[in-house]
Amino acid sequence: MSISFRTVSQLSEDQRDALAEIVNIGMGRAGASLAEILDEFVILSVPQIRLVSSQDIGEALEELIGAESLVSAIRQPFYNHLHGEALVVYDEHGCRDLADIMGHEGTLDEKVEEELLLDIGNILAGASLQGVAEQLQAEITFSPPSILANHVPVSELLDPDELEWSYSLLIEVNFTLEQRQFKSHLLIMLSEDSIDTLIQDIEAFMESL
Amino acid sequence: MATKVLVVDDSAISRKMMIRALPKEWEVEISQAANGQEALEAYRQGKAEVMFLDLTMPVMDGYQTLEVLQKEGLDCFVIVVSADVQPQAEERVKKLGAMAFIKKPVNTQKVVEILKEYGIL
Repeated sequence: MSISFRTVSQLSEDQRDALAEIVNIGMGRAGASLAEILDEFVILSVPQIRLVSSQDIGEALEELIGAESLVSAIRQPFYNHLHGEALVVYDEHGCRDLADIMGHEGTLDEKVEEELLLDIGNILAGASLQGVAEQLQAEITFSPPSILANHVPVSELLDPDELEWSYSLLIEVNFTLEQRQFKSHLLIMLSEDSIDTLIQDIEAFMESL
Repeated sequence: MATKVLVVDDSAISRKMMIRALPKEWEVEISQAANGQEALEAYRQGKAEVMFLDLTMPVMDGYQTLEVLQKEGLDCFVIVVSADVQPQAEERVKKLGAMAFIKKPVNTQKVVEILKEYGIL
């Protein structure tokens, strides 16, 4: 079954709540992995989740991060039961805070910065998606992460016409450390078929309750 | 007599999962709260002999709730149920008076284990 026009309103309140809880558990794992690497206690926040169509992703991101902001992002494709890719978007503060937390002072070498973004992005995307998949009793496989953009304006990050994905789950992840803050945004882009699969999985998950 | 159980979580699904994980043989009277503030109100009305408490919630989170409970004498058995799987999270809530910690997703076996350990079941 494929439905061509699905908007966020087509996720029922129960479905959104179930998805939020499933993502929440995934985020908890990501937070624990992050805490281990940073050797700091990570304060988790309630994840904010929205499902947007690919045409609206740019606008939603500008709203979330600020149209003028420069961002860096990594992408990590996944396939198997669900097919899509995860993007982790860091704004300028996020990059700087991250470098600072990891003990890098002054101007950051581009290569070192890219490595940092890849490492942390891999943890955030991997742990949260793995957590989601486990609860849905689905299996997903990851390809290695790569840099999507480095210091580009939000408006130029994604070109809707070139996106092969129909929908994106826009997840705002806000990990606060005891002393410092580190903010990033996780986008899970899904193909049309995968959104349908996901919704069926959520339905099955709810029925099992 | 039925034990008064309060389930505190901002997610309705999560509360449902928690309630479903309670052992069938346990005679309970269940109330629910969506954040710490609501939980404290219910607690003060005597609706919480056992409280299942989430940590990450809007309005008032689980840590803040535990702090207030402690100030008010903590006349309630608190079991924290959280997606936060950092070992430090467990240490912290236990310092704040929680008796046990369950990692989400919750399952009946773990709940039974804890209730039996403390002679509640």
